[in-house]
Amino acid sequence: MSKLVSLIYNEQIKIYIQKSTWAMYIVLALLILGMAVMTNNFGNSTEQYQDDNWREVLQEENAALKEEMQNEEMMADYNSQQIEKNNYYLEHDIQPEAYGAWKFVQENLAFLSVVSLLTIIIAAGIVANEFRWGTIKLLLIRPISRSGILLSKYLSVLLFSLFTSIFVFAFSWIIGAIFFGVEGVNPSIVTNDGSGGFEVVSLVGSIFTEYGYSMVNLIMMATFAFMISSIFRNSALAIGTAIFLMMAGNSIVGFFADKEWAKYILFANTDLSRYAAGNTPWIEGMTFGFSISVLIVYYIVFLVLSWLFFTKRDVAGQ
Amino acid sequence: MPETAMELIDVKKSVGNKEIIKGLSFSIYKGEVFGFIGPNGAGKTTTIRMMVGLMKLSAGDVRILGNSISTNYKEAVKEVGAIVENPEMYPFMSGWQNLMHYARMMPEVTKERVQEVVTLVGLEKPINDKVGKYSLGMRQRLGIAQALLHNPSVLILDEPTNGLDPAGIREIRQYIRKLAKEEQVAIIISSHLLSEIEQMCDRIGVIKNGELISIQTVGGDAADHNLIHQMEVEPIDKAAQVLQEQYQLEAVRIDEFLSFRSQKEQVPAIIKSLMENDCAVYQIHVAKGNLEDQFFELIGENTIE
Repeated sequence: MSKLVSLIYNEQIKIYIQKSTWAMYIVLALLILGMAVMTNNFGNSTEQYQDDNWREVLQEENAALKEEMQNEEMMADYNSQQIEKNNYYLEHDIQPEAYGAWKFVQENLAFLSVVSLLTIIIAAGIVANEFRWGTIKLLLIRPISRSGILLSKYLSVLLFSLFTSIFVFAFSWIIGAIFFGVEGVNPSIVTNDGSGGFEVVSLVGSIFTEYGYSMVNLIMMATFAFMISSIFRNSALAIGTAIFLMMAGNSIVGFFADKEWAKYILFANTDLSRYAAGNTPWIEGMTFGFSISVLIVYYIVFLVLSWLFFTKRDVAGQ
Repeated sequence: MPETAMELIDVKKSVGNKEIIKGLSFSIYKGEVFGFIGPNGAGKTTTIRMMVGLMKLSAGDVRILGNSISTNYKEAVKEVGAIVENPEMYPFMSGWQNLMHYARMMPEVTKERVQEVVTLVGLEKPINDKVGKYSLGMRQRLGIAQALLHNPSVLILDEPTNGLDPAGIREIRQYIRKLAKEEQVAIIISSHLLSEIEQMCDRIGVIKNGELISIQTVGGDAADHNLIHQMEVEPIDKAAQVLQEQYQLEAVRIDEFLSFRSQKEQVPAIIKSLMENDCAVYQIHVAKGNLEDQFFELIGENTIE
């Protein structure tokens, strides 16, 4: 056990000692900072609701939205939603919460796709780079099984994705707190309840739920990149295919949607939030349990292939 | 009979339908330096890769202190330190970080031991610099350092003096001899530099087209064999006559030298006889390139089949 810990420690050092990894974090930090500046300057702030006359403000807003709907057909859907939401506040006498760190964190969940991207890059390189550097030879002639080395590398990828997600979360919260202040310990928001109405939910709770949903896709794509990296020993190929599939995933499912086997495509199953209240699955008849089963099968196939190729193949000359 | 450190038993390797190693069998003993030479493509590196478990054996077995590399990998490889081909390290880490990285992968390698090894290979000064900035010679030393970390019983070095300057080569050579003699480490050195091998090794295995074609002993035992001596002597014909008549030695004139085969112990007597016969001896030496001649005799032309 302690052996595995030192192997993982080694892998983490190799990831974080490289300048390119720090560049990733700097890019993430700049993105979050940029987001804060943009929101601060142009965002629809909720300041107007914070005075005692917030009810009038909401009513005025509704009136403005109605007028806009009459002029522009396109806005009808969005505006009527917004009006209903405002009415919900009024009916239940809930004052809209001020914009703050938690809300900012929620908005920055979009950056988890950047985290996926970075995790793919790490996963794609962690095996292939050892071959490229030639260090694989010195790595494998230790009294440790190849399976152990591969496991430590895979766990290191997962750790990297965890650390990076935590970084996005924590840095967003800190920047949000600096720019917008903190709403409170457990602020709540009004959101769709899934049956056309609205409900009040914990903001923090919904942030973690969304983090969870994003992790599914992240882990599947990272594992895929890891597999390509182990099989072909080429990081560029692994990064390329994984990012292409991540981007094209939805289109692939859309393209084959009318086929019988479409529901077995990986990307038809990675977005588990489709089974949450108020959403519809990609293809009729798919259930949460079905998607979980499909994901597990893919996951096992990815890992078994990685393991087979890494442990069984000779390390021959380049 | 010295104790066996590593044993190759009819080791074979096939890639596709082609058999690239055709049954190697030999043993390496504790405390000896074994040279492994052969032309390019003969299978040196493939054999070394099989010795350390990077490549699987198609048939046969490699045993290290009795443990099979195929069936008891961890126990077997625990006693092996190696450089395979170039000593490639992580270029973005310092020498020290590289060594600590490998130290953590092996049982009971302390910081003190790492420091000891660094001193041993003479890398104290640049040890905290990034390996990317190292010269080939420094990387070679670092490679030897990582191979020695865990006090292995078998040390496998692929071209260990590659990239070292003459002083460095001398140092490493002395160190290799010392390791073999004092620590009873079995050392396997592959090289294509014959003079190098000749100076460092006790025994030499010559490999060609995946077959071991000869194992020879160098150094100490050479006294038992007839060595080729070259002598500058005046007058040369008379000297040849003396050798023929008094010692029954066949002497041949090559350029300005008289060349003959004799045992080392005979030489002083020969010189004395020559002087008594009024022959002026200017110099005498053992012909160099002894091994080289044998090598080319053995392998013929440098062709890869």
